[in-house]
Amino acid sequence: MPVNILSLANAVWILFKKDLLCEFRTGYAIGTLLMFALLILSSISMTFSGISLSAELTANLLWMIIFFCSMAGLGRAFLEEQETGTLFTLSIYFRPQAIVLGKMLYNIALLIGLTCLIVPLFMIFLHVDFQLWRELFAVLLLGDIGIGAVSTLMAAMLGGAQGKHSLFTVLTLPIILPQFLSAIHATMTILSGNVPTIQEIAYMLGYDSIMILAGYMLYSFICCE
Amino acid sequence: MMRRVLFLWLAAVMGAIVFIIPPAEGLGNVVKIAFFHIPLAWVSVLGFLLSAYWGIQYLRTGEMYYDLKSSTAAKLGLFFCIFATLSGMVFAKLTWGAYWNWDPRQITIFILLLIYGSYITLRSAIPNIITRARTSAVYGLFAFFTVPFLMFIIPRFYFSLHPEPIINRLGRLDMDSIMAYGLLLTLVTSTALFRQILCYLLKKEYRKYPANMADRIGKDGMKL
Repeated sequence: MPVNILSLANAVWILFKKDLLCEFRTGYAIGTLLMFALLILSSISMTFSGISLSAELTANLLWMIIFFCSMAGLGRAFLEEQETGTLFTLSIYFRPQAIVLGKMLYNIALLIGLTCLIVPLFMIFLHVDFQLWRELFAVLLLGDIGIGAVSTLMAAMLGGAQGKHSLFTVLTLPIILPQFLSAIHATMTILSGNVPTIQEIAYMLGYDSIMILAGYMLYSFICCE
Repeated sequence: MMRRVLFLWLAAVMGAIVFIIPPAEGLGNVVKIAFFHIPLAWVSVLGFLLSAYWGIQYLRTGEMYYDLKSSTAAKLGLFFCIFATLSGMVFAKLTWGAYWNWDPRQITIFILLLIYGSYITLRSAIPNIITRARTSAVYGLFAFFTVPFLMFIIPRFYFSLHPEPIINRLGRLDMDSIMAYGLLLTLVTSTALFRQILCYLLKKEYRKYPANMADRIGKDGMKL
């Protein structure tokens, strides 16, 4: 019986730390994401060896890699919890909102870590030179938050479905496509040497806010009866 | 009786589009595709809105009938969206020379088709009735949250070959009054048609379930 009622922020932080700890112990998601990223990058680099890539192609490739890695590695956010029965325990101790925000934070952190590894490798393998670093970080952060938030929610929804993993990709891609397309467009603008417009950043911020808010409101319907 | 009235009304409206409304400047008779394309797109968004609304009602009350309504509205919305895409493709071929060139409007309607196609895939993948209802209500709501981004924000943001929306950036109506009235008439007609088809489908589906659906579902959510 929980003695202290934790504030939402504390609960989210505790859940985030718990997930990170579990991840460091098993290394499943991190390993999958890393190996996948390395495989795709090296295959693309071998295929394109020597050919110089346009800004459009480079931006598309970067986000394709991030997307495929997240589809490979983020679908298991709730699966292990459901299989081992710990999701039930979590819902006793924590509010549904804390659970979903904690998981979202964990997935977003994983994705940001992955992006921090992909970008230097991208620059090395594909000879890309980024000039506008501040804007690039902003775009990458907003895109990662969007992909991470929606992936968490779709993973949460798919507890009772057959053929979970392929369904996860089928469900997630259309929902994140609006964010994905504007992230690609903004990255393309950065690679061409221009700063993305404030409308583009506001759009991405708006999308992220709406998806996080939607998850916050709707998770209690997904998890609890 | 209502069906006959609707049928005659539909025939009258189509006759009006073909014979009464004059061809437009520049585009000529081709612009009359817009009298089919715009109502179909409008009705599909209406279908998605109703699906989201009934999804909320299901989550709030737990009544299975709302789940039935929500899924039927989404499927019907998808059906109309497919026809809106096809009519748009025909217009694109006639005016711009290609059926599909990944114009921003085409991208966004394609994404919408994908989203609601995934909705149907999701429903078919969950055997448990209650879980299916709950999951599709939540997914339908997520899907609907992306609709403003896709239909209203993105196309106005990027340059597109697609004609400016009727209520354009300056907030004015940029059409001849006869065409504007004709369009309004087709919008009302298509909404009536949508309602008629929706009621027919609901009646047909509901006949499969008894008056009180809770009697037919076991405690674990599987059909008895």
